[in-house]
Amino acid sequence: MDLWQLLLTLAVAGSSDAFSGSEDSSGKPKFTKCRSPELETFSCHWTDGVHHGLQSPGSIQLFYIRRSTQEWTQEWKECPDYVSAGENSCYFNSSYTSIWIPYCIKLTSNGGTVDQKCFSVEEIVQPDPPIGLNWTLLNISLTGIHADIQVRWEPPPNADVQKGWIVLEYELQYKEVNETQWKMMDPVLSTSVPVYSLRLDKEYEVRVRSRQRNSEKYGEFSEVLYVTLPQMSPFACEEDFQFPWFLIIIFGIFGLTVILFLLIFSKQQRIKMLILPPVPVPKIKGIDPDLLKEGKLEEVNTILAIHDNYKHEFYSDDSWVEFIELDIDDPDEKTEGSDTDRLLSNDHEKSLTILGAKDDDSGRTSCYEPDILETDFNASDMHDGTSEVAQPQRLKGEADLLCLDQKNQNYSPSNDAAPATQQPSVILAKENKPRPLIISGTESTHQTAHTQLSNPSSLANIDFYAQVSDITPAGSVVLSPGQKNKAGISQCDLHLEVVSPCPANVIMDNAYFCEADAKKCIVVAPHVEVESRVAPSFNQEDIYITTESLTTTAGRSGTAECVPSSEMPVPDYTSIHIVQSPQGLVLNATALPLPDKEFLSSCGYVSTDQLNKIMP
Amino acid sequence: MDNKGSPQKAGSLLLLLLLVTNLFLCKSVASLPICPSGAVNCQVSLRELFDRAVILSHYIHNLSAEMFNEFDKRYAQGRGFITKAINSCHTSSLSTPEDKEQAQQIHHEVLLNLILRVLRSWNDPLYHLVTEVRSMQEAPDAILSRAIEIEEQNKRLLEGMEKIVGQVHPGIKENEVYSVWSGLPSLQMADEDTRLFAFYNLLHCLRRDSHKIDNYLKLLKCRIVYDSNC
Repeated sequence: MDLWQLLLTLAVAGSSDAFSGSEDSSGKPKFTKCRSPELETFSCHWTDGVHHGLQSPGSIQLFYIRRSTQEWTQEWKECPDYVSAGENSCYFNSSYTSIWIPYCIKLTSNGGTVDQKCFSVEEIVQPDPPIGLNWTLLNISLTGIHADIQVRWEPPPNADVQKGWIVLEYELQYKEVNETQWKMMDPVLSTSVPVYSLRLDKEYEVRVRSRQRNSEKYGEFSEVLYVTLPQMSPFACEEDFQFPWFLIIIFGIFGLTVILFLLIFSKQQRIKMLILPPVPVPKIKGIDPDLLKEGKLEEVNTILAIHDNYKHEFYSDDSWVEFIELDIDDPDEKTEGSDTDRLLSNDHEKSLTILGAKDDDSGRTSCYEPDILETDFNASDMHDGTSEVAQPQRLKGEADLLCLDQKNQNYSPSNDAAPATQQPSVILAKENKPRPLIISGTESTHQTAHTQLSNPSSLANIDFYAQVSDITPAGSVVLSPGQKNKAGISQCDLHLEVVSPCPANVIMDNAYFCEADAKKCIVVAPHVEVESRVAPSFNQEDIYITTESLTTTAGRSGTAECVPSSEMPVPDYTSIHIVQSPQGLVLNATALPLPDKEFLSSCGYVSTDQLNKIMP
Repeated sequence: MDNKGSPQKAGSLLLLLLLVTNLFLCKSVASLPICPSGAVNCQVSLRELFDRAVILSHYIHNLSAEMFNEFDKRYAQGRGFITKAINSCHTSSLSTPEDKEQAQQIHHEVLLNLILRVLRSWNDPLYHLVTEVRSMQEAPDAILSRAIEIEEQNKRLLEGMEKIVGQVHPGIKENEVYSVWSGLPSLQMADEDTRLFAFYNLLHCLRRDSHKIDNYLKLLKCRIVYDSNC
């Protein structure tokens, strides 16, 4: 029997597709659904088929079989109740229903099986809809626009929830009356649920459906509950009224933009001046700002030379230019020999005196501070003539220069032979710009002093500047012999422009020129780097040649008004590239008989590489 | 003398009548007291134990349903596993109530023991299920992870049930009866169709049994803890 049952089932199954939806191609009756509402009974429904009228209604039959105790011992049985569940249905009451037992049903028409289905009852549970929906008002918002309600219902009456035989969960849906889309809430296990934020002036519809908790299929929806909320109070806030900030901002910006454009592009300059006053730009009288931007340096310097306080700009490019003016007052010292000797005098006191430790009251007491000078010198003995040491010296020297100037003024008439002022210019490389500024201030004063000096005195004897030939490691400054051709130069005009074709081997691209080369270029004593016409005395001491001045002098054409001195200008100034190391100040050695220095072979200027070779 | 005997007879008759009516009126299960030990926290802890057990059983049933659906979707489509009607579960031999009336008539101790038996019967199949799913080619992670989870939760539910039984029915230690599962060879068959059908069968049985246990436990909880008033 088992085997027979198995074969029958297989044959039946092979002939039909049980669960997948087969198309009703020939209008045969087939099962539509089987459903158990409470896990105690179930019913199955089928369609009648197209040939409804042809067949007698009673010919369709339903047979079922259920397996019990692992055996298919039973025969197919006919449906116990064709009526209770409606037309084309079969109702199985609780005595016929066994849960967790497989059932198979088949539909026959005139003895022939038309459809078959197998299932278990717990798989087809679809509860009835809940009943007794009602709602209560929870609260109304302060604005009087929204309200919350609580919706309650009862479980379907046939579901035995109380004994726990079936556990249901519910899903609530609601919408406004004139909407089409239902809003769904999450499933809940309880039979009441709050609905928040309903608007007071609208009508809502609410419906609930249920399903067994472990299943997927929901039952039918309950009847729709109409929720009519109380009308809004007339004193409620006006809804959706917001201050139209957005509009105001937009229009405000628009208006401002229009006004601004009108102002900018209008011809009325007066209004424009009122609303948008022009920003004052820095301006110097008589000078075109464009020239400052684009003009050549010499032109600018020429223009600006009119102004007294522009002397320093000339040296702005030559940041290495530094001037130390030492006051060598002692007339006896001059006769002793070279300045070098003077400076290298063994006694520091002597050097002190050289620097003007005079006792006479010529107005120097206010600015003369011998103690400080002394300490400076003492300090300089400690170090090796570093630039840092030189700087305070220089600063003091600068301060002293003013005094020295006065001294010069006082003593110039008397000191013919003595070099009133030995002002070795120490040109230090790589100095800060402010330094020249400071010096320039002093220089300007010097210039005024020099003008005074130049006139009465014979320039030949007065050495305002002396070239520092060397600075010893001890820190003393070695001066070169004074210029001898200063007198001749003094008459030279500033404009002295010598067109002297520089030899081809002059390297124009160097910042520094060998003085020898410079000498070749310039026939006349150079008036280099002083483009101030009002300081002719400034020229005389200045043998320092810079590139610009060289080009200037070379570029300009003009006749030499001065008689070129026969003598080659003694280099008073030597540029120094490096002031870093303690032995940093290495000056031009051409003034000194140092032929064995190889780095001076070609050029009086020491290049960095050469210097590096010398100094470790 | 007759006068003396008649009141006695009447009394005994009345007593008998009372007993009989009691028996008839007593529709619900006459049960032993729930907490015979009289422990202080007995009622409270029983409630918690049942709540926990119901949560576990519900979870296990959800997992098995999902696992079955996964398997059905992946492997069973188009294979015509119409043998639902034929398949039999190894736990069918255990005489479990099959509808509400039967479940309501059975004693809760009996029902608890039945639940224990079913749970014990599934220890072995679940273990082998995990092993065999792992060894499947392209072991589907959805199925494997759920199988592992079910196996573990089943053990915990078993422990919980044993605790409940210990509280409800202390002292009585029943023999560990369960039905043996013999489906392992078919799970390891070389023929893929046969093997897949064996899997399908097992998963279907698992879903059914987990639903059964879940239902029994919910019923027991309402009956014992909430006095049939969930």
